[in-house]
Amino acid sequence: MQKIVLPNIDLRELEEQKRENSEERMEFIKKYAEWIKKKSNREWSSQQAKIID
Amino acid sequence: MDCEKFCKLWDEVVKKFECVITENKKDAYNEYLLNNHSIRFSEMGKYVPNMEVKFPKTDLDLWSLNNSIKVVLNNHLLFLSKIELQIPFKLFLGSEKDFEDAKFLYELFKDKLDNSLMEQFNERLKTTKLFNRICKK
Repeated sequence: MQKIVLPNIDLRELEEQKRENSEERMEFIKKYAEWIKKKSNREWSSQQAKIID
Repeated sequence: MDCEKFCKLWDEVVKKFECVITENKKDAYNEYLLNNHSIRFSEMGKYVPNMEVKFPKTDLDLWSLNNSIKVVLNNHLLFLSKIELQIPFKLFLGSEKDFEDAKFLYELFKDKLDNSLMEQFNERLKTTKLFNRICKK
């Protein structure tokens, strides 16, 4: 079996990445909310329903 | 990935999907991806679900790509990061949803996991206690 060499893990770097990802996600949610406001309830809710179901 | 290669990828992807972050491929490359921000593609006219795309940044990102696993889904080949990394990493992320995901993955794959590898990731990400509390209970 091939020995797996593990990567270097810098926890401070990963914490920073986590913070950036969280900010990015918030930006995405704002854009999504803007998109929802422009669409009919039927259109956006049917897309949501497909994911939930 | 250089800009030329990315533009070719973009041209292929936008035949079936659209980028919900920007319509401009040069902006996607220069303003987002090169600045370590992600872009997202969804089916035409839809916002969700979408696929997040970004360049690897950390050693862990590169390791995930170089040690991916192959999954065949509906006759399509997908590459996923190792479950032994996904579980500790979700615990590291730390939201309630991440904990639920970690527990779900563990329950689903516990008989097939390389426990030694997962243990090492838990040690490095300092998630051993969380793993025992959330996944093992």
